[in-house]
Amino acid sequence: MSGNVVEDLIHELTKLPGIGRKSAQRLAFFIMGMPDSEALPIAEAIVKLKEKARFCRQCFNITEDEVCSICRDPGRSRDRVCVVEEPSNLIVIENTKIYKGLYHVLLGALSPIDGITPDRLKINELVERVKQGSMSEVIIATNPNTKGETTAQYISQILKPLGVRVSRIAYGLPIGGDIEFADEVTLAKSIEGRNEM
Amino acid sequence: MLTRTEGIVLNSRKYGDADLIVTYLTSDKGILNAFAKSPRKTKSRFGSSLEPLTHARLSLWGKEQSLPRITQSDIIEPFHRIRENYHDIVHVSMLIEMLIALLPAGIPNSRLFTFLLNILHTVQTGEEGSKEALHLITRIRLLATIGYAPRLKGCGRCGKESLDFYPDSGTTLCSRCVTGPGSAGKPFMRLSNRAIHFYMHSIEWPIHISNRLKPATETIRELSALLDRHLTFLLSRKLHTSKFPVGVK
Ligand SMILES: [Zn+2]
Ligand SMILES: [Zn+2]
Repeated sequence: MSGNVVEDLIHELTKLPGIGRKSAQRLAFFIMGMPDSEALPIAEAIVKLKEKARFCRQCFNITEDEVCSICRDPGRSRDRVCVVEEPSNLIVIENTKIYKGLYHVLLGALSPIDGITPDRLKINELVERVKQGSMSEVIIATNPNTKGETTAQYISQILKPLGVRVSRIAYGLPIGGDIEFADEVTLAKSIEGRNEM
Repeated sequence: MLTRTEGIVLNSRKYGDADLIVTYLTSDKGILNAFAKSPRKTKSRFGSSLEPLTHARLSLWGKEQSLPRITQSDIIEPFHRIRENYHDIVHVSMLIEMLIALLPAGIPNSRLFTFLLNILHTVQTGEEGSKEALHLITRIRLLATIGYAPRLKGCGRCGKESLDFYPDSGTTLCSRCVTGPGSAGKPFMRLSNRAIHFYMHSIEWPIHISNRLKPATETIRELSALLDRHLTFLLSRKLHTSKFPVGVK
């Protein structure tokens, strides 16, 4: 804290991802110009979020309760669980409306080079869920990049001995794209993962 | 200013919502950081070309010292088979971590570039089962290529034969040379003749030949521990990748 209120806010805002000093300055001055009725609810929303929001005890989705609404929903099938890196990934999959099972949020992805080891993620918790529950399938929906792939590989290796089916979401071409512009790895994976028609 | 070069992606980190800062080992500019706009969007024109280990032809815009922007990146060899193999990616990550930690940015080293490409090809095509030795050899060779290999060929001061490695001297030392003010009681590791023999082979012979050697598990363990101590001393910390479980099957 510098004692200068504007400088303090700029300093705090730079802690957000993707916000550099220049953007922070712009935001701080913008907030200065906002009427109290608009600016204060932002601060209150942050306070409320930090007071009330927490991670679901079972799946580590964000919730205001002990257990999130998805885990509590009796209409969802409990024999499959979809593993994602972040709560934001869960929201995107929910929006597709085709998945009716449970989730497990890892809160990150493995990265050997950055020292993100399995114990830093919610992997042990996933193993425990599989051991206890009546899970028949674990669908790994980590990102299709190196960290996501390393995470998927690791999880599949420790889950398979438990006798549960482990699947990975398919790699494919983006809809609305053009094969000509697909890169060779994406294209190779799409051919490998082809489906019978 | 537009520059063209070839690079191998060593690592990348997120920047902002969809941008990326990519660390390359380039063929003619050493280690270099560059910036890519929106590659994380699914429809990005960069495709998978910014994923770690990718060997690509690059066009960069801007000064090398001030984070140039990647304007084009065409895959020469993706090395995605390595990324899809858990053990391989953990081991190759260790090489890359060593490289980034020990090598200052911006110093050209074309031999190192060729060497890393060679390693990636060897790991990608290597047979499962003999990989442990290969990974050990590549670590030793990498250290030798960048001038940080421990010296195990006799006492580092007088040349007399010795099996005692002193991590804080980076060399084996004989009992005569190690006595003296400040030297007594320094930690050391006693190595086996077999381990030293294998080590010399790994340094002196080309990888595709030394890769045919079948060292005992004990030898691999011994030399891995030695490199671990050596690197911990050089970096004043443990490698992140050394904390990674590779034993899972
Ligand atoms: Zn939940
Ligand atoms: Zn000596």
